Amino acid sequence: MWKWIQRQSSPKIFYQTCANLTPWFFWPFIGFLVIGLYWSLIVSPADYQQGDGYRIIFIHVPSAILSMMVYAVMAIAGGIGLIWQIKMAEVVAKVSAPIGAAFTIIALVTGAVWGKPMWGAWWVWDARLTSELILLFLYLAYMSLNNAFDNPRTAAKSSSILALVGLVNLPIIHYSVKWWNTLHQGYSVGTGGLKDPDMQIALALMFVASIFLYALLVAIKAKTEVLIREQNSRWVQEEVTGAVS
Amino acid sequence: MTMVEYFSFLPYGKYAFYVWLAYGVSAVTVITLFLSANRKHKKTLINLQNKYSRK
Repeated sequence: MWKWIQRQSSPKIFYQTCANLTPWFFWPFIGFLVIGLYWSLIVSPADYQQGDGYRIIFIHVPSAILSMMVYAVMAIAGGIGLIWQIKMAEVVAKVSAPIGAAFTIIALVTGAVWGKPMWGAWWVWDARLTSELILLFLYLAYMSLNNAFDNPRTAAKSSSILALVGLVNLPIIHYSVKWWNTLHQGYSVGTGGLKDPDMQIALALMFVASIFLYALLVAIKAKTEVLIREQNSRWVQEEVTGAVS
Repeated sequence: MTMVEYFSFLPYGKYAFYVWLAYGVSAVTVITLFLSANRKHKKTLINLQNKYSRK
């Protein structure tokens, strides 16, 4: 495993791995998305309390979980880059930030759209909503800090420290519905969550689709970032000349 | 007539506006992310190609 990680830390091999994995992420994403949407919008029955309005859960919950998961990946990759000076970990951290921010925006917007018919308000300063909004600000701060330096290594170091500090927000988001008396409902997965098997299948399919989407976007964005960083290397010149001609 | 009533002809009736708005916003965000990532990659390849050809 350690040998494999060391091998991947070579920009050339990392670039090739990303290029090779792209179709392996794209097609499962499309497959899980199509079946997941079919299960979410057609197969799953209406909820006995919320009617068809609950169907927003199938995009809201996966994007909310991914918003936290991507942040954890970003912070851990940033930490690896910081401790072991692995440049490709810095690349993964950097390219994960805009993807995680997009998942957070989707979670916040779909939550607001779901909140209006159920709570009568687009937004409330509830612990879960507020901590998720702070997560979005953390992503924005990370991206701003990363773009504030000309040297990518200095940028990665300072933004990784910010990402590691921001990790403290993740348990707050997760346990906010337990620690505080919130308007936001409890856990949607596990005890007290969705009961109907079709609803559970739909949620699982959309979650897997979201993971493949994240992996796909990281692979595409990481390839670009590696090319920019390593543009003075001979292998990039050969790769680019071959790709364009 | 409110937006909710206007879109109630769609599947999910009185919730149609909210459900389709949520799915629509998510679709637009994901498609934008995917296209911008691909476009940036292609643009980078062309920029680097131009840089190397000038040398």
